[in-house]
Amino acid sequence: MTAYFIRRLLLLVPTFLGITFVVFTITRFVPGGPIEQMIVQTQMAASEAGGGVGSGLETSVEIPAEVLAALERQYHFDKPFYEAYALWLGDLVTLDLGKSFKFNQPVLDIIVARFPVSIYFGLIGFLLAYSICVPLGIYKAIKHGSAFDFASSALVFMGYSVPGWALGAVLLVLLGGGSFWDVFPLGGFRSEGWEQMSLMGKIADQVHHTVLPVVAYSIGSFATLTVLMKNSLMENLGQDYVRTAFAKGLSERRVILVHALRNSLIPICTGLGHAIGLVMAGSYLVELVFNIDGIGYLGYTSIVERDYAVVMGILVINTVLVLVGNILSDVLYVLVDPRIRFS
Amino acid sequence: MSVAAPEIQETPRSPDPAPREKPVSILRKRWRKFRTLKRGWYSFLLLTGAFLLSFLNPLLINDKALVVHYQGETYFPALSSTTYQGRDFGQRTIGEARYRQLKEDFAKAGEGNWVILPPYPYHPNESLLTDPGLEGPPPHPPSAAHWMGTDDRARDVFARLVYGFRISMMFGLGVVGVSYLIGMSVGAVLGYFGGRIDILGQRLVEIWSGIPFLYTVIIISSIVRPSPRVLVLVLALFSWVGISYYMRGEFYREKSKDYVAAAIAQGDSHASIIFRHILPNSLTPVISFAPFAMVGAITALVSLDFLGFGVAPPTPSWGELVKQGHNNIYEWHLVFFPLGALFCTLLMVVFIGEAVREAFDPKTHSRLR
Repeated sequence: MTAYFIRRLLLLVPTFLGITFVVFTITRFVPGGPIEQMIVQTQMAASEAGGGVGSGLETSVEIPAEVLAALERQYHFDKPFYEAYALWLGDLVTLDLGKSFKFNQPVLDIIVARFPVSIYFGLIGFLLAYSICVPLGIYKAIKHGSAFDFASSALVFMGYSVPGWALGAVLLVLLGGGSFWDVFPLGGFRSEGWEQMSLMGKIADQVHHTVLPVVAYSIGSFATLTVLMKNSLMENLGQDYVRTAFAKGLSERRVILVHALRNSLIPICTGLGHAIGLVMAGSYLVELVFNIDGIGYLGYTSIVERDYAVVMGILVINTVLVLVGNILSDVLYVLVDPRIRFS
Repeated sequence: MSVAAPEIQETPRSPDPAPREKPVSILRKRWRKFRTLKRGWYSFLLLTGAFLLSFLNPLLINDKALVVHYQGETYFPALSSTTYQGRDFGQRTIGEARYRQLKEDFAKAGEGNWVILPPYPYHPNESLLTDPGLEGPPPHPPSAAHWMGTDDRARDVFARLVYGFRISMMFGLGVVGVSYLIGMSVGAVLGYFGGRIDILGQRLVEIWSGIPFLYTVIIISSIVRPSPRVLVLVLALFSWVGISYYMRGEFYREKSKDYVAAAIAQGDSHASIIFRHILPNSLTPVISFAPFAMVGAITALVSLDFLGFGVAPPTPSWGELVKQGHNNIYEWHLVFFPLGALFCTLLMVVFIGEAVREAFDPKTHSRLR
C-alpha cells in the first residue's frame, strides 16, 4: 500500500511538469503580452507628454532598443520558450514565482494576501454544506418515499439547477437595494473603515457582507452532497448486517445511527481530502458578481490582463493542491475503510 | 475550472446490467419505465416541445410580417428570402419595410390592403429606440407590448430570451455530442488496451484536465471572435474528461468478463470486440450522465456570455442580458427573466436526467422497517 502511494506521488511530477509546460508555452505565443503592453503604455505616455506641447501627431514613438532588450530579458522573452520554461522552473524550485507585472510585487505575496478571504468563505461554505447536507441526507434516507423526501428532493434539484453566481446576481437585485429591498450590501469583503469599527460593529459588518456570497458559493455543492449521503445510507440499510442488527432486537435508532451510518459516511469522508484546496477556494464568477477581491477574482483579472507571472503562480498552487488532494482522498479512503485495497 | 457539472445520482448503479427475462428489449423496458416517472417524463415532453417549437421562432417572433396583401398581390416577407423595401408597399422610408407601421397605415387608409404580423411582432436584434410605444431612454421596464421590457440597446427582452433558448439548447446538445465522441473514444481505448497505453494516456488526460478552461477561451477570443461552432468545439474539448473516466472504468470491468474472452477465442478483431461486444454493455453510465453534461454545457455558455467571452454580438444570449442587469441593478427585469429561463430549462434537464438514471438503473432499496 505504501508503495502504491509513493508511486502515485512520483507520478505527480510528470503531470505537474506537463500542465505547467503547456500553459507556459501558451503564454509565450499569445498576443498582448507584457512586452507589447509596455510598448503601448510607453507610447501612450509619450504621446500624452507630446500632446502637452501641442504636437499630437507624433504617434509612433521608438522605444530604445536597450530598454526593449532589458524588458525581454526580465521576462525571458529573449530566449526560446523551452529555455525560458527551464529558467522559470529553476526559480520555482527556490519558491520564487517571479514578480507581477501589474502589481509590481512578488507573486507569492499577492496570492498569500488573498488567502484570508478564500479561507474565510471556503471554510464557512464547507462547514455549512456538511452540517446541513449530512443530517438532511440521513433524514431523507430514513423517510425515503415520504412527502418530505419528495419535496426536499425537488428543492435540492432546484439548487442544482441554478449556477451559484446566477443566484448571487438575483439575490443582489432582490436584496441589494436596487429595485426591491435594501437588506444586504452590494458586495465587497468588508465596509470601508472596517478597521475603525468597534468589535461588535466589525462582526456585524462582516456577517452582513458574508451572507449572500456564502449562499452563492455553496449552493452548488448542496445537491451532490445531500444525494450522496442519502444514497450511501440507503445502500447500507439494505445490507445483511442491518438485518442482523434488527434481528438482534436493537432499536431502529441504534441500528441506523450506529451501525448503518458509520459505513455510509465512508464516501463522505473521502471528499475531505480536497479540503486542502480551501486556501485557494473561490469562484471567479461569484467574486466578480459580489466584487470580492479573492483568488478567483485575481486569477480572472490576471488572465484578462496577461499578468503571466500571477497566472502561472495561481496555476502552480492550484495544480499541486488538486493533485495532492486526489491522493489524500485515496489515503483517507484506505484509512476509513480497511476493505479497500489499491494496487 | 472544470466545465462539466458534477453529477448527482439519485440511485446508485447496480453492478450488473439488468437481467433479461422477457423477450421485450431492454431499451423498450427502460423507455416504459421512463414514462412512468412523471416528473421526468413531463419535463421531457415540455422541453422537447419547446425546443421543436423554437424552430418556428421566425414565424412567431419577428418584425417581418407573415402576410402582406398590397394592391391585389400577396407577399410572405417572413418566409421569403427577399428583403422587401419600404417603397415596395408604398412606404416613404428608406431601407426595409416597417411592417408594424405598415399595418397601421393600411388600416387607416382602408384601401383593401392588409398585413398579418407574427403573434409577437418584434425581432430580437431590432432596436426599438424609435418605437412610438416606448418612452425615455432604454432599458424600458416590462409593459403590455414588451412583456419583459427592453435591454440597454432597446431590444425586446422577450424576443431575445426565446431566440436565446434555441441557441442555448443547440449549443448544449452540440457540446454534449462532441464531448461524448471524444470522451468515449479516449476512455474506450484506455480501458480496452490498458497497460502502458493506459498509464501514459491517463497522465495526458490529467495534464489536459489541468489546463484552465477559462484561460484558453479568453486567449482564443483575443485572437478570433469565436463563432458558435468554434465555441462548441472549444467547450467540448474541455468537457470530455469526465466521460472518458466513466468509459474507461466500464471497459476495464467488461473486458474481464467471459463473453469478451469468448469473443477473443473466436478470433474477433479488436474493432469488433470494442464496438459490437463491449460498447453496448457499457453505455448505461454515460447515457445517464448526458443530461447532467448538458446542464454543465448550458451553464458554461451563460457564464461565458456573462463575462463577455461567449457568442459574438448581436447574437441573442441570456448571459449577456444578465451582464447588463448586473451592471445596473435597478433594471431587475434584465436579471430575473433570463436567469428564470435558465433555471427552468436546467431544472427540466435535471428532472429528465434523474428519471433517465432511474429508468436505466432500476434498484429497489430493500427496507426492513
